[in-house]
Amino acid sequence: MFRMAEILSNPYVQPLIATLLIIALFPLVAGYIVLAERKVLADLQVRLGPMRVGPYGFLQPLADAFKLLLKEDIIPAAADKWLFWGAPVLSTFTALTSFAVLPLSDKFYVADVNIGMLFVLAMSSIGILGLILGGWSSNSKYSLLGSLRSAAQMVSYEVPLGFAVVTGLMVAGTLSMQGIVNAQLEKGVWIAFSNYGLMLVPTVLFLIAGVAETNRAPFDLPEAESEIVAGFHTEYSGFRFALYFLAEYAAIFVISSLAVTLFFGGWLRPFPNVAFLEMPLNTVFPALLFGAIGAGCAVGVTRLMLPEQKGVLAVVALAMFALAAMFLVPALNPFIRGLFWFLFKVAIIVYTFIWYRGTFPRFRYDQLMDLGWRYLIPISMGSLIVNGIVLLATT
Amino acid sequence: MKEFLKTVFLVDLLQGLWVTFRNQKPSLVYTEEYPRERPPVAERYRGAPRLNVHPESNETLCIACNLCALACPEHLIVVAAERNEETRRKELTTFTYDVSRCMFCGLCEDACPVDALELTQDFELAYFTREGAIWDRQMLEEGPLPTQYKF
Repeated sequence: MFRMAEILSNPYVQPLIATLLIIALFPLVAGYIVLAERKVLADLQVRLGPMRVGPYGFLQPLADAFKLLLKEDIIPAAADKWLFWGAPVLSTFTALTSFAVLPLSDKFYVADVNIGMLFVLAMSSIGILGLILGGWSSNSKYSLLGSLRSAAQMVSYEVPLGFAVVTGLMVAGTLSMQGIVNAQLEKGVWIAFSNYGLMLVPTVLFLIAGVAETNRAPFDLPEAESEIVAGFHTEYSGFRFALYFLAEYAAIFVISSLAVTLFFGGWLRPFPNVAFLEMPLNTVFPALLFGAIGAGCAVGVTRLMLPEQKGVLAVVALAMFALAAMFLVPALNPFIRGLFWFLFKVAIIVYTFIWYRGTFPRFRYDQLMDLGWRYLIPISMGSLIVNGIVLLATT
Repeated sequence: MKEFLKTVFLVDLLQGLWVTFRNQKPSLVYTEEYPRERPPVAERYRGAPRLNVHPESNETLCIACNLCALACPEHLIVVAAERNEETRRKELTTFTYDVSRCMFCGLCEDACPVDALELTQDFELAYFTREGAIWDRQMLEEGPLPTQYKF
């Protein structure tokens, strides 16, 4: 007969719960990132975006998911069946595996491995193999062109990404994800602003190479829809396409989390060592933020006409008010403030990813190589050396 | 030197980002949510035909003179009338108008001596069958009734 306390004290239970939570919730989160992307992109292009399913398009991800699951699953006759089947699985698997080491907060994470950063980089590199295999196995010229481009892009942009990460690791002094955040807590400054501001260079490099690593605009050559139909996933439909979609958004989340952990202080609040900001930043700010969102939803309720839509939006508003109230409870606050700050920073970086997509036109193939090899790689190497020297000279 | 610094600090890219950012205002949104809000069409727009009735007596204004049918380049108007023996006036019995062949040239409304036939500003002329495009007198007097959505 097991008692509850015994079960909870087992070292495998907490990671298991975290894993199940992440696997259960992330597809929903990815769906809402897609919705946010469509809405923000619509805002940038003075459109409205989805407005019909649910209040202001709030239930659109559910409709999209159902549509994708009900679609016919087509495998081209001349395709390599097993690779065609396995490639999206590989992409999704690696993208979701990276979540295992993400330090979502000081209390909520699956594992704190001492080579965490290396693990994430390895997984994201293997994930690109999924794109390459998918493009090759569909036996279509567009898919093959897409995967060729993806291979070339991986080779050129992994290098500056790696150098930027190494520069960050040099300052942090550890590869463990929790260790990196704790190092920033000890320093009292985010790594992005440490080393007399010199670390801003690898930060910017990481953000640029990270966009390229996740195949997002303006580096979305592998799926350039105006040139090669849809690139590597031209032949994919239905559930397999949904898997690629999930993998893409998981990769965006992972790269953003990496940037947040390594350069922007992970689950730390801004100015982590300034004591008098403790109360306003950990309690008042999140409560005000969620309260304001809830109030916005409440105003939206009065403007809607259909009672069903009013109901859905009212539930959202109440959930937001409940979240705001949770931050005001002193017993709950320590458990959720880390998660809040981590996800808040990730959300800002995901927003900038969408913002880039709405602003910058796609690179030409040779421009992409030019930027990667002639600028990003030399600059990243230079910043590694300069930061190393400055670090040595000051310690 | 200035150009070089501009390139190094990615000034052009930041300017581009600012342009898109400041265009996010909801007031700038150009989309029209069609069935919820219908666009105002131009004053001289020629849309669905209408056969006007007298506003008080609700009797048709048409005197069955057949001028519209003669004016129509497509011959899509059919007017039939019979003479009332008491009043000695022609009374309209049927009036059909084939919207599917109409090119909305407006010659019929110009030809009408009593302003009975008129091309209105209604533009929702979709129908489910080919026969649905042939409007009879009742349809012409009531005008098209598109579904109204409440959201």
